[in-house]
Amino acid sequence: MTTNGYVGLILVSHSQRIAEGLAELVAQVAGPDVPIEAIGGGPEGTLGTDGGRVHDALRRGATGAGSVVLMDLGSSVLAVRASLAELDATERAALHVADAPLVEGAVAAGVSASMGSDAATVAQAAEEARGIAKL
Amino acid sequence: MGSPSSEIAAEASVALPPDVALHARPAGAFVREAAQFAASIVVTANGRGANAKSILEVLALGATGGTTLELTASGGDAAEAVERLAEVVAQLG
Repeated sequence: MTTNGYVGLILVSHSQRIAEGLAELVAQVAGPDVPIEAIGGGPEGTLGTDGGRVHDALRRGATGAGSVVLMDLGSSVLAVRASLAELDATERAALHVADAPLVEGAVAAGVSASMGSDAATVAQAAEEARGIAKL
Repeated sequence: MGSPSSEIAAEASVALPPDVALHARPAGAFVREAAQFAASIVVTANGRGANAKSILEVLALGATGGTTLELTASGGDAAEAVERLAEVVAQLG
């Protein structure tokens, strides 16, 4: 997924519709260059987490310029952690997991990635979203 | 002469096109342009200021079409930054 030189985003949510809707929003703000993977829901298409799909996405994202991973809640975070533990050191080094609010973090990360930033910088942009007031 | 670059300031006012809010795609285009400059740039709308290089701060302005944006910048390329951003805003669509 990250073969065009831009850092990618991997969005992990309990809901496929949240993940896809957010991917659409980020693409609108950040433009078409940033590769985005939307991973949502459980294996049966229900709300939940599908560790296998998360793992496949992380493995794909650990190529090229690497990826920043953003999660919504609880078991999404656990699935990402479990997946990272199964990857080799080179793959892990290409993935930056952002401790950030999902929507705001993804938008900030997308804009940063669209400017050609490296994965650490993109993850930092996502994490800075925690400190930005809405009101 | 000899002044720290942070004191070099430039400013401009520019109105958003009537039918273009500083949301989503236009906000992304604005922020990406702002990030090309070294200067610190603040964009103010409706009495609220935002770091022009922060997409989340710019989105939080809630600037609707026709709103006047005040651009102020400090740093070495402040004048170019303000001039270029004013052009970008005027051409958003």
